[in-house]
Amino acid sequence: MIAEEIYLQPSTVEEALEMAMLQKGDFTFIAGGTDVMANRYQGNENAPCLIDLTGISVLKGVSISNDYLHIGALEKLDDLQHFHDILDEFPALIEAAQSVGSPLIRNAATLGGNILCENRCLFYNQSEWWRESIGYCLKCDGDICIATQGKKACFSELVSDTAPALISMDAELELAETTGHRRVILEDIYTGDGVYPRNLDKLTIVKAILLPLNREFKTVFKKLRQRKSLEFTSLTSAVTVDNTGKLKIALSGVDPKAVVVAGTVDDDKEALIKKAIKGARAIDNDMYSRKYRRDMIKVFLHQSFEELSI
Amino acid sequence: MLQQWEQKMKAKTSRMKILDLTINNVQHKVLVHPHDTLNKALRETIGLTGTKTGCEQGSCGACSVLVDGKAVQSCIYPALKCQGKRITTIEGVAQKGRLHVLQEKFVNKGAIQCGYCTPGMVMTALSFLDKNPSPSLLEIKEALSGNLCRCTGYKKIIEAVAEYVQESGTRISGLVKGVNKENSASANHLMVGQGRPYLEASKKVKGEAEYADDIRVKNALTCQFLRSVYPHARIISIDTTAAEKLHGVRAVITGKELPIKFGVLPISQDETAIAIEKTRYVGEIVAAVAADNEKIAKAACQLIKIEYEVLHPFLEMEESLEDVGDHEQIHSHSKFNNNIHKKAELRFGNQREGLSNADLTSRVEFDFKGINHAFTEPHAATAWWDEDGLTIITATQVPHYLHRYLAKVLEVPMNRVRVIKPYLGGGFGGKSDPFPHEMIVAHLSRKLGRPVRVRLNREEVFLTNHGRHPTKMTMEMGVSKDGMLEVLDADIVIDGGAYGSFGVVTSYYNGVLLQAPYKIDNFGFRARRVYTNKPQSGAMRGHGAVNPRYAVETIIDRLAEQINMDPCELRFKNFLDKNTKTVGEFRITSNGSVECLKAVMNQSGWVENFGKLPEGHGFGVACGFFISGSALPIHWNEYPQSVVHLKVDMDGRVLITSGASDIGQGSDTMLAIVVAEVLGLSMDNIAVVSADTLLTPIDLGSYSSRVTFMAGNAAKMAAENLRDVVLKAVALNHEVTDSALSISHERIQSEDGSVDISWHDAIEIATRKVGALNVTGYYNSPKLGGDFKGAGAGLSPSYSFGAVIAEVKVDTSSGQVIVENIWGAHDVGKAINPLAVEGQLEGSWHMGLGQALSEQMLYRNGLLVNSNMLDYKIPTTLDTSNIHSNIIETIDPEGPFGAKECGEGALHPVIPAVANAIYDAIGVRVTSLPINPEEILKAIKSNKTETVA
Repeated sequence: MIAEEIYLQPSTVEEALEMAMLQKGDFTFIAGGTDVMANRYQGNENAPCLIDLTGISVLKGVSISNDYLHIGALEKLDDLQHFHDILDEFPALIEAAQSVGSPLIRNAATLGGNILCENRCLFYNQSEWWRESIGYCLKCDGDICIATQGKKACFSELVSDTAPALISMDAELELAETTGHRRVILEDIYTGDGVYPRNLDKLTIVKAILLPLNREFKTVFKKLRQRKSLEFTSLTSAVTVDNTGKLKIALSGVDPKAVVVAGTVDDDKEALIKKAIKGARAIDNDMYSRKYRRDMIKVFLHQSFEELSI
Repeated sequence: MLQQWEQKMKAKTSRMKILDLTINNVQHKVLVHPHDTLNKALRETIGLTGTKTGCEQGSCGACSVLVDGKAVQSCIYPALKCQGKRITTIEGVAQKGRLHVLQEKFVNKGAIQCGYCTPGMVMTALSFLDKNPSPSLLEIKEALSGNLCRCTGYKKIIEAVAEYVQESGTRISGLVKGVNKENSASANHLMVGQGRPYLEASKKVKGEAEYADDIRVKNALTCQFLRSVYPHARIISIDTTAAEKLHGVRAVITGKELPIKFGVLPISQDETAIAIEKTRYVGEIVAAVAADNEKIAKAACQLIKIEYEVLHPFLEMEESLEDVGDHEQIHSHSKFNNNIHKKAELRFGNQREGLSNADLTSRVEFDFKGINHAFTEPHAATAWWDEDGLTIITATQVPHYLHRYLAKVLEVPMNRVRVIKPYLGGGFGGKSDPFPHEMIVAHLSRKLGRPVRVRLNREEVFLTNHGRHPTKMTMEMGVSKDGMLEVLDADIVIDGGAYGSFGVVTSYYNGVLLQAPYKIDNFGFRARRVYTNKPQSGAMRGHGAVNPRYAVETIIDRLAEQINMDPCELRFKNFLDKNTKTVGEFRITSNGSVECLKAVMNQSGWVENFGKLPEGHGFGVACGFFISGSALPIHWNEYPQSVVHLKVDMDGRVLITSGASDIGQGSDTMLAIVVAEVLGLSMDNIAVVSADTLLTPIDLGSYSSRVTFMAGNAAKMAAENLRDVVLKAVALNHEVTDSALSISHERIQSEDGSVDISWHDAIEIATRKVGALNVTGYYNSPKLGGDFKGAGAGLSPSYSFGAVIAEVKVDTSSGQVIVENIWGAHDVGKAINPLAVEGQLEGSWHMGLGQALSEQMLYRNGLLVNSNMLDYKIPTTLDTSNIHSNIIETIDPEGPFGAKECGEGALHPVIPAVANAIYDAIGVRVTSLPINPEEILKAIKSNKTETVA
């Protein structure tokens, strides 16, 4: 028996989790829908039940508590720029948010949705018929990776643009789970496995994104894309330094997870760059080649260091 | 399996939800499936079809609507998300029939061509302006950067929004406005030469214009296709049993029901509507289903079982040139045991001598990827049968050829077929063939006795292709020390994909369209078109000549450098004259090459900038030319190529009927202007009915840039004939000679003032005894050309000429190229409607930028990898350079009021101009398209001057 189509609209986190539990795992949380709906169109996301979280008011708004800025996960990407706290303390997040997709996407897509955006690959984000034609890949129940023509691991890329910016600023997440609430370091949710790119339980709702205050972050954000709009990333880099000289590099678009390199402003820059490139398991699954994207890591990081005068 | 499907379908249809929507301030209760998109609810359930469907994946913006005042893409917006929300669609923007001021700006600035992106563009702009009423120019561009337009190059859209903003008191700087026009001789014309919006612009901006998929025919079934998953495979068996049993399925058909071959050219009848014995590309239709709705039809397709025997696929053009050995050819009709479809070779003068006489020569290999038209409106059609036989409403540029081939394939006489072209969302050559889906719905509707409709999704549009041929070529040119071009020799291979399409013509055009705008006496080429197991290539804007033009213009740049001559000067030295013949006996009449190049040199500051800018910043130039319609028709006969009828009776309004297809380029408006000019009428006394094969006289269609020249001339002749009839009647009535009468400003007057009557009175006199006047005008090209084999290719009654200068900046750390400015000039003969002409030129330059910088069709094992609007990269507003337009008028002796083509030729020079500018910037020669930053970077790093992807 194949389940029927259901669309649920809870108004509290508890209700949402309860609804989710009743679906026995056969559901997808949806917020702005820009990622989920496009994936559904291509048959890459088939859950019979969609649980729309956008009616949950507690997931919205920006507030400060315990030296952290709390950004509600449902805040839309385009709305972030209207919060002075973000604008003043974390302008790189706004820059990152404004680099996502197109203005139309940003009018619907949420910050929470962007960090949970499904990994992408040129050989996976295709129609059902297309994937059948080429032979199903690991990410859609096939035996091998099509992009690498044979590897037994999936290298679909993390394509969130806000995640690298957030990670470079030591962002954390506040999660609601059936067992209660907990906090995690953002970069820790990414597994590096393209098939299961996040280690969060399915019955998890990201409530808020937390950014530490009073660190006086300086961030340089860069995104490689073929067009200046309407693009997922081919390489996103964020390099942040804080008032103690801590330095953090975070990349997306070149690995199933965020590539993170932490250090200090005094570290050997070439060594940091080398480490970042080594950490990026990019493959030829993008309109830009693996080699070019890896070369551009070096270029972006050099430019970022220069702009940060470090 | 079947039971599962039955259950699934039943379950999916059983629990619909009632949705409360406030759309344009009207309350709706709508029954939707829980996962339906807002786009589907608006278009299919409520019937508000002003909101378009372009890509269904949130990548083009055509479906944008406002939800609580914010623009979102309705194709990826769940309908149930909108419960209780306020939706505004394009239908809710104009109030009581009065356009919103922003809509007026779109109309008046000529921001609307095909109109398919317009509703989404307007909604996005309104949402943005509500948030930011006084934006900068860059902010406007950013705001519109999620809405793709393929017609306008965005220039007029941005102008429209900017002007709207400026009228509310905000100054916007940096806007490149308007157009320069030279040699305009419009003093004697009242209508011709006055820029005006399209007749239907208001309808389009209000979302009221109906495109093929907007038209709902009662009781229609939906058709879906099953497509091959192999590039080359024998079909062993097809089992449709399970699909046929699915509830709601009305018919499942396979190739044997439609065995008759077709193809746009009589010499290339090599395609059937559905693959019969074997499939020749991944994506070829192998079965079709008609069902009660799309979901059922799709489900049925998945239940069809096909057994294939896989054959060796030919995926690269080099392999297709070779003997296939024991492998099976793609088509058995190829002349030898290879996959060569057509070889075209012509030689003039003595190339060997030319090469040895030349002081310097340059021989270069080039590699061009295929590209797609990427019009915003996907193919769609609805067919039905009644007492008049078959009627099909379809998005086509060529109703006439479709008319012929529907009759052929369905085995009915042409008088039982009617083709209607509704408003069309862009073509660019991509809707200029008869298509399998059109044959299939026509057949299914006859078989089932019910209307059948189909709309291709974006992936299917890309698979249907017929885009620009992937091309490889070696070209050699030679020059004397004093800058005279001595010789041109080209060896060209073009990848035709699985079927013929326009390929025979394309093969010739790759060569023959190099014999101008320069005089080259020792000229020759060999072009071979091969079949490969990929979606077929065909005609695309600038047909056949775009890639070899790139080769010529970049080689000229090399030669100029080698002899130390300014590349503009070299071009001036070699331009053909007016009123001359080319080496292959093309008759050149008007020729504005010199004026075009001078205009862009002056406007761009060429002399001050070329070769003088710092590293990474450069200027480049190129020229081009194109036909104004093919002088020879595709079907050899004595028929005129265009016919226009005029009818007028007691209400005084002149009805123009013409088979010409307005595909967004403005041909309906052009016809109206021409007739109004001759008859001295205002637009209120003109109406146009076009592209309906039952109602309108024959016209070969919108391709080869023929419509203004040919249908325009036919309209002019018809109007002159009508004028003669009316004046004769008035003269007789007033007892004066008709030569003493003139017609202007809706009045008929005699020189001596004794006659001064209104148009309506004149019509009353002229129709008194006969009730109505019907007149005809027609156009047929004069006999042209030499009498050697292949002499007919590229002949045209007139040619357009053009030049482009590009300014680029190259980021030497990333290899990324940014085109900052395009200065373009095009000799259009005479701009009948300058606003439309500018739009055509700007759109051409924009499309050229796409091929230069970002567009390509990428394959993996014969499977198209980027068949969506996200990975097929049309430049957005932010990727489009400033465009400076120049219309050059040379008043062609045979064109209507001196007009010639403007819709394609402008594209040719823009791509090589960009490449030449890159050389000026960083000293790297680009020999493959699209220009790849990775290769640029590699070349910079290794100090190489060549780059091949």
